[in-house]
Amino acid sequence: MENISSEYLDEKLETVRNIDFLQYRSKELPTWCPGCGYFGIVDALYRACRELNLKNEDIVTVSGIGCSGRTPVFINSYGFHTLHGRSIPVASGLKLAREDLTVFAVAGDGDALGIGGGHLPHVARKNINITFLLFDNSIYGLTKGQSSSTTPYEMKTNSHPAGNPDTPLNPVRLALSYGASFVARGYAGDPEGLKEIIKKATLHQGFSFVQILTPCVTFDKENRTWKNLKLKVTGLKLCVEGKNMETAMRIAEDEPHGVGIIYQDKDRPHYQEILRTINKAG
Amino acid sequence: MMPDNDHYVVIGNGPAGNHAAATLREKDKDARITIISDECVPYYYKPRLTGFIANEIRREKLFVSSWGSYKEQNIRIRLGQEVEKIDPDSKVLFLQHMEKINYTKLIIASGSRARLLPSMSRYADCLKFITSYTDVMEHKEAIRKANDFFIFGGDLVAFKFLKMLVAMGKTVTILIYPGAFWPYNLSDDMLAQITQSLSKFDVGIIIKDNVESIDEQEGSVLVKTRKGIEKKVNMVFSFNGLSPNIDFAKGSGIDIDHGILVDEYLRTNIKSIYACGSCAQIYNPAVKSYTASIGWPNAVAQGNVAGLNLLGDHKVIESAGRKYFDLEGVKIKTTWWDDIDDES
Amino acid sequence: MKDINIVIEICGSAGEGTISAGEILSRFMSGQGFEIMSFDSYPAEIRGFGKCVAHTRISSNPIYSPGKFVDVLISLNDKHSISQLGSLKESGVLIYDSQPARPHKEDESAVGWTKPGMVSYGIPLNMLAHKAAGNARGMNMVALGVIAALFHMEKDQFTDSIKARYGKKKQIVIDSNVNSFIEGYGWTKENIKKNDSYSFKGVNLPEQKEKLIINGNQLVARAALDSNLSFYAGYPITPATKIMEILSRELPKHGGTLLQTEDEISAIGAVVGAGFGGKRAMTATSGPGFALMTEFTGLSVMAEVPAVIINSQRGGPSTGIPTKTEQSDFNSAVSGGTGDCPRIVLAPTDTKSCYDAVVLALYLAEKYQTLVVVLMDFFLSNSIKNIDVPQKPLPEYLNANIAPGKDELKDYKRYKITKNGISPRAVPGTKGGIFFSTGLEHDEYGRPDYGEAGHLKMTRKRFKKFNAVLSEAPAPEISISGKNEFDIGVISWGSSAGAAHEAVMSAQKEGINASSFSSMMVSPFPQKALIEFSDKCKKILIPELNFSGQFAGFTSHILKRPVEKLNFITGRPMASEDIIQKMREM
Repeated sequence: MENISSEYLDEKLETVRNIDFLQYRSKELPTWCPGCGYFGIVDALYRACRELNLKNEDIVTVSGIGCSGRTPVFINSYGFHTLHGRSIPVASGLKLAREDLTVFAVAGDGDALGIGGGHLPHVARKNINITFLLFDNSIYGLTKGQSSSTTPYEMKTNSHPAGNPDTPLNPVRLALSYGASFVARGYAGDPEGLKEIIKKATLHQGFSFVQILTPCVTFDKENRTWKNLKLKVTGLKLCVEGKNMETAMRIAEDEPHGVGIIYQDKDRPHYQEILRTINKAG
Repeated sequence: MMPDNDHYVVIGNGPAGNHAAATLREKDKDARITIISDECVPYYYKPRLTGFIANEIRREKLFVSSWGSYKEQNIRIRLGQEVEKIDPDSKVLFLQHMEKINYTKLIIASGSRARLLPSMSRYADCLKFITSYTDVMEHKEAIRKANDFFIFGGDLVAFKFLKMLVAMGKTVTILIYPGAFWPYNLSDDMLAQITQSLSKFDVGIIIKDNVESIDEQEGSVLVKTRKGIEKKVNMVFSFNGLSPNIDFAKGSGIDIDHGILVDEYLRTNIKSIYACGSCAQIYNPAVKSYTASIGWPNAVAQGNVAGLNLLGDHKVIESAGRKYFDLEGVKIKTTWWDDIDDES
Repeated sequence: MKDINIVIEICGSAGEGTISAGEILSRFMSGQGFEIMSFDSYPAEIRGFGKCVAHTRISSNPIYSPGKFVDVLISLNDKHSISQLGSLKESGVLIYDSQPARPHKEDESAVGWTKPGMVSYGIPLNMLAHKAAGNARGMNMVALGVIAALFHMEKDQFTDSIKARYGKKKQIVIDSNVNSFIEGYGWTKENIKKNDSYSFKGVNLPEQKEKLIINGNQLVARAALDSNLSFYAGYPITPATKIMEILSRELPKHGGTLLQTEDEISAIGAVVGAGFGGKRAMTATSGPGFALMTEFTGLSVMAEVPAVIINSQRGGPSTGIPTKTEQSDFNSAVSGGTGDCPRIVLAPTDTKSCYDAVVLALYLAEKYQTLVVVLMDFFLSNSIKNIDVPQKPLPEYLNANIAPGKDELKDYKRYKITKNGISPRAVPGTKGGIFFSTGLEHDEYGRPDYGEAGHLKMTRKRFKKFNAVLSEAPAPEISISGKNEFDIGVISWGSSAGAAHEAVMSAQKEGINASSFSSMMVSPFPQKALIEFSDKCKKILIPELNFSGQFAGFTSHILKRPVEKLNFITGRPMASEDIIQKMREM
C-alpha cells in the first residue's frame, strides 16, 4: 500500500508541476486515501478552472460533510466546508447574493442524496446558477464503510454485513426528473473528459448537475473498484447536449454507464434572470 | 346545561321573584332556575331608594343580594333583558333581543311600574318618576343640584320623597291628587288630615285642584293649575301609585284584568304558569273577587307560595296581607283592589 | 387632565369585516391624537366562519400592553361574542344586534350572559345595514357609527377615515360603507339613552406628529430594508410569514433577492451562504423552524459567518399552538444546539423596538461575524401600534464589516486572534484574501485543527468576541430609577416588558414601591446592570409567558438569589393587571 501511495503521489506531483493549473491547488496536503478517485476529480476541476481562466478569488467551493467535504481545503479558492448535506443551500444563497462569483457545490452520495436529498429537487427546479459536483463512490467513506443511497442492492457493507437491503437511487435519473437544466456524468478515472464536462457545466447558465463515478479504494473492494469501473464506464461518443429527455433517461439507466453530457437546456433562464423578469413585470 | 332537567323561569327580580326562585331551589336541587329582569341591577330594596338619593344610604346597602349569591344558589340571572311575549303552547318566552327561552314552568313576578295618569300622558316628557333603581340613577344628580320641586300625586312614596327633599333643604310644592293612592281614592277628610300632618313641614300644599299645563322653559318647568296657581320649578315628579308590569303577557291567552288573574293557589288560567307579587290579581273566595296587593311582605309571602305550588303543593295564599298603610297618620286599608278608574 | 383609556373589542365571524372595522377605528383614533394598540385574533383556518376579534386599546397616554379587560364589546355575532363577555369589565358596555336576521336559540344571545352592572345597548345592526346598503355587509360600519355616537367621536372626520380606507374601491363600496356608518350614528343618537360613562371627549392630546400604524412584522421588514438587507431566505410559518411576504415585494426594489426555500434548513443555509459572500442576509421563522435551523446556528458561530434569524415565538413545543403567543423559546435561542456556542440574542420589548432590534442585529452580525437571533413573539408580530416614524440607521450601522488591511493580506489569517476577538474578514472576490472556513475546529488560517490547545484558544476567542458585544448593548430600561430601595423589582424580557413597566407605574399609585428592569439584549446579558438593580430590590418578580420560568432560571443563576415567578401559557399576551395582582400578593 505504502509503495503504491508514494509512487502515485510522485507521479501526480510530476504531472501537476508540468501543467499550469498549479495556481488552483492549495498548499494543503490531501487527506484522502492513496489511490482515491477524488484526486482525479480535483485534477479535472483545477484544469477546468485554468482553461476557463477563472480568477482564484472569484471562485468559491462549498462542500458538505464526508470525504468530499474536504475538497475546498485542497483548492486555492475561497472555500466553505459546511454541514452534512447542506452544500446546496449554502451555495445557492451565496450565488444569489453574489452573482459575480463562480460557485461550485460539492457533495458525496450520502451528503447529496441521503441527508441532503431534500435540497436537490428545489435547486434543480429553481435553476440556480451553481455547478454541483456529486462525488459518487456509493459508500460512506469517512465513517468507514456504511451503505449509502447509491450502494448497490445486496452489497455487503459495514452497516449491512448481510447485504444492503435498500434499492439504490439513480442520481442522473433523479436530476432529470427534478428538472435540472444540465445533467452530466463523469468518471474520476478520466480527468481529461471530466475537465471538459466541468467546463461545460460551469459555463452553463443555470443549475448544472454532474454525477462523478469514483471508487472508494478503502471501503468498497467489490463494486466500484477501479477495475470494475473501467469496465462499467463508457464514453458517450455523441454528447447529447440537448433537450432529449427520452435519450437522457435511457442513458441514465444504461450499463455500462455513459459518460458525457446527458441533457442540457440552454434556453431556460437561470433563477436570477427569472426573478429579474418577474419582479420587473410585477 | 342539562336540557332534560326542568327549567323554571321567574320573570321579575324583586321580592316576589327572588323568594319564588329561592323556594324552588330549596325544594328542587337539580332544576334549572332562571330569573329574568328588565332592570340591570341585582335584587335591591326599593324602599331604600329615597335614602339613597339623599345620600343617607350607601349604594352597597341598597342590595339584598349580590351577583355571587345567585351563583351560590345556582340560579341563572338575566338582567337588563325584557320578555316580549309568552307562547304557552310551545312553552317559549321571546325576549326582546330575539332570544327564545324554553321553560317547563313559569312564575310571573314582574311587579309594577309608576302609573302615568292618562290625563298626564301629554306631559310625560316633563314628568319624572322614582320607582326603580334606573330612575334614581338617572335623576339622582339632578335632584341634588336642583332647588325647586313640584310633586304631583300622593302615594306612599310621594310623602317619603317630599320629606327627603325638605330634609335636603329644597323648596317643594305638592299637589295632592285624591286618586294617587291608587287603587284607593282619598276622601276629603283624609285630605284634610294629611294637609294638617304636612303643615309642620315648610312645603306648599295644593288640594282640590288639578294640573292645567306643564311646560318646559329654558331649563325650568312651569306648572299651571286649573285654579290658576303657577309654579316655576326645576323638576316635576309624579307619584300616582303603580300599575302592573304585564304588557308581555297580553295576547298570550293568560287571563288578565288590571293584573294577571290567579286563583288562591296563585295559578293562572294556563297550566304551568303562576303569578305573584304586585303584578298579580288574586282571587279571594271570601269576597268572590280579584284583589291586588302591594308592599314587601305581601310579595315575599306570595313568592314563597307560588314556588311551593309550582312544585306540586297546594298552599292557599293568605289574602289578608298587610291590611293598613299609614299615610301621614291616616290609616288606609289598601290590600284590596278597588275601583281604579282614573278621575279624568 | 382627564385620562382616557378605553379598550374596545369588535367580535364577529370571519368575513363580517370585523378586523377591518377594528383597523378603521385604530386609524381614526390615531389620527385624533390618541395612542392605540390593537391585537386581533382570527381563526387558524384559512376560510370559514371562525371567530374574529378586533381588540383595540385607545388611550391619551402611552400604551405598553393591550389591556386584559375590555370596556366596550361590540357583538356582530352573538355566538362568538358570548365567550368574549368573560373579559368585559363589570361596568363594561355591550353593543349587540337587537334584531338579528333569525331569533337566537336559548343561551345563544350575548346580552343573555351579561352580568349586573354591565350596560347593554341593543341596536338593530343588521336592519340598519340593510337600510343603508341593501345587505348585511355593512354591519361593521353600522357598529362603528354606533360607537362614534355613544362615545362622542367626531362624526365627519370618522366618515373621512372610512372614505380613506376604501378610497381605491368603487364609489358604490365607499358609499355603502359611509352610509352604513351614518345610519348607525344617526339611529343611536336618536334612540339610545346613554347609560354609561365612557367618552373620548374632553382630553387635551399632544400635537400630532406623523405616526406609523404598524405591527412588528412590518417593522422588521422595514428595518431590514433600511439596514441594506440584500438577501432573505425563508419558509412559510406562522407568525413570521408576513415578513417574507413583505420583503418578497419590497426587497427586489432595493436590489436584493428573496428566496423561498424548501425548508428552514435550506433557508438558514442560504442565509449563511449569502453572509459568507459578504452580504447582509436574514431569515424569519418560529419555534419549529428555529429547531430545524439549529444545526446552522452552530456553523454560523464556528465558522464566524454573519447570520440573522428572527424567531417569532408561538406556543410550543413541537407544532404547539401556532396562532397563540408564548415566550418559550428563550432557552433554545440562548443555548440551543451543540457545544459552547455563544450567540447574540436580542428580544425587542415592544413594537418600536422590533425596528431597533433588527437594525442592531444586522449590524452586530456583520461586525462580530456571528449569529444574531431576534426573539419576537406572535403578539409583537401581529399587534398594531401607532408609533413615531423610526429614525433610519446611522451610516456606521450600515457598513460594519472589519476588512483586512493590505499588510494583513500578505499572510492572511481569517481567524486571527485579536484583542476583542474580531478577526478582519475578507469576502470572496478579495485578492489575497482567500481562506477556507469550516465547521470543524480550526487554526487561525481556518485549517482544521483538533488540537487541545487550539480548541481552547479558539473557544476563548469566540467568547472574547461575544463578551465584547456587551459594549454595544442598548441601556436596560428601568421604570423607576433614582431610588435606592424597592420592595419589589420586576425583571422581564421581550413582549412582557411593556406589561411589567405598566404594572409598576400603576403599582406606584397604590403605594407599592417597585421598579422594573428589562434589557433588549438577553445574550450576552448586561449582568452588571442586572445585579445593581437587583441589589436595590427586596424581592424579585419575573413574569414571562412560559410554564417553567426559563428566563427566571437564567436570571436567578446570575443573581444567585431566589426569585418569584409569574408564568402564563394562556396564549394571550402578558397583562399588567396580572402582574399588579401578583405584586399585591407579594
